[in-house]
Amino acid sequence: MLSSLSRRRVVVLLVLTSLLLITLDRRSSNSVIDKARQAFAVILRPFDIAAKAVSKPIANAWYGITNYDNLKSENAALHDQVEHQKGAEIEAQTAITKFYELLKLYHLTSVHSYKSVIAQVVGAAPSNFQNTVEITVGTRAGVAVGMPVTDGAGLIGKVTKVYPDRSVVMLITDPQFSVQAQVLSRVDEGTTTDSTPSSVPNTAPSGRPLDSTTSTSTTTTSTSTPVPSKSTPTTNPFGAPPGQTTSSTNTTTTSTLPEVLVARETGNIDGQSAARPLLFSLLDDTALTTVKIGDIVETAGGTKSLAPQGIPIGTITAMRQRLGSRTPIVEVEPNASLTQLNFVSVVLYVPNQAAI
Amino acid sequence: MRSLPFALFTRLIPVALVLLAIQRTVSATYRVDGVAVQVVLALAAGAGAGAGSERGAFAGFALGMMYDLGVGTPLGLTALAYGLAGLTSGYVVSITPDPQWWLAAVFVAIGSAVGEIAIPVVKFLTGQEGWFNNRLLVVIPVVTAAATLLSPLMVPLGRWCAGAKRRTWRAIPE
Repeated sequence: MLSSLSRRRVVVLLVLTSLLLITLDRRSSNSVIDKARQAFAVILRPFDIAAKAVSKPIANAWYGITNYDNLKSENAALHDQVEHQKGAEIEAQTAITKFYELLKLYHLTSVHSYKSVIAQVVGAAPSNFQNTVEITVGTRAGVAVGMPVTDGAGLIGKVTKVYPDRSVVMLITDPQFSVQAQVLSRVDEGTTTDSTPSSVPNTAPSGRPLDSTTSTSTTTTSTSTPVPSKSTPTTNPFGAPPGQTTSSTNTTTTSTLPEVLVARETGNIDGQSAARPLLFSLLDDTALTTVKIGDIVETAGGTKSLAPQGIPIGTITAMRQRLGSRTPIVEVEPNASLTQLNFVSVVLYVPNQAAI
Repeated sequence: MRSLPFALFTRLIPVALVLLAIQRTVSATYRVDGVAVQVVLALAAGAGAGAGSERGAFAGFALGMMYDLGVGTPLGLTALAYGLAGLTSGYVVSITPDPQWWLAAVFVAIGSAVGEIAIPVVKFLTGQEGWFNNRLLVVIPVVTAAATLLSPLMVPLGRWCAGAKRRTWRAIPE
């Protein structure tokens, strides 16, 4: 019966059926289609396992033959790199410990405040128009749609579909991906208008307030006397935690490091498909004066953000002014190597529904 | 010639499951210049070149539906693209009922190119922008070349899956 249809009717039938299905699928919480996907995944799993079991030894043998020399030289280079990293790691551990102490002291939350689940990447997207990976954890491990996913280097994406034992993660390079981000730039003293005392809020050339971090060795004593926070406005960006008074009367005069001014610019990071850098759209169109190539971009956090604050995203690699527009183009190279993902971590942070 | 629904259930679905597993594991992992070779699309185009436009379109649609279910793309998106691939490559049967292998390969290439380019087009029409970029200039040739190389296998397999038989010529007795 089907084959007796004319060619034109076949086209019309296919197009209408497909559009109907796409419409149904794009509507959220379509349980029938989700159940069909789950059932199909169960049917497909033995075929996947068989295909992997057959193809992996052949591929390994091929790589062993063709890439043996490259692997040896790469291994030696990595050994050298690890040796060089050992010194930096000790410094980083010290900085992280101090960071935790500050977070605890000021009751601040960070990405480290949230639990995470480790998962293995089991497959990349077989389509050329979909930047996703499949991971081995799902609802049974507490994973939900929208949760950010990281690897050791930084943010890699967000969970878009969840099943009991697996999830699909949309990578940050997907054109549909967007997350609020911030860049913390060190501002040279010469770029500020004058040397302002630490009690006065500093401003960046773009007019935004600067977070000032002075390295003056200051001894801070906390007393147990509660003081209403309204009566003690703080100029320090870290601020005094409520219910605590801070006195800096015991400040020593020794200053060993130069003053570091940090400008914080916020915006959105958007994917532009694989093999292309991320696009950072700054909220402030004059911020190019403070943002520099090489600055680190991280998640901005906030109630409407997809991810908590402080997850590294990447490094700014190019900046230029868009023709005919004041909005600058800032390109960001992701920290994570998205083509070589193996183990990843799902941060159990449930974002606002509006962010998903 | 088998009826199309019978062939879909008994032939196309088992073959598609095997090819889909290959697509999800082998093609997704071992890429050519970062491009995943589309073996399921090659079968859809092969079914068209082997069995004609109508059967090719339905076979492509069924293959695309399975792809959407297995891969997680919006249901109907790949089905539409692969249906168009089968329909396009099936035009070769309109030209000659029994196309030579090279002519079938040419139409498989055309069909697979149409199918692959239809995906970003449908995505764009459904509001998923961002896929029209220079990368298409690499993706389409690689997918097309792979489908052309696979066509000597995919055309007979697609014809069998779509329940069609190869046309044979018989001499008219005098």
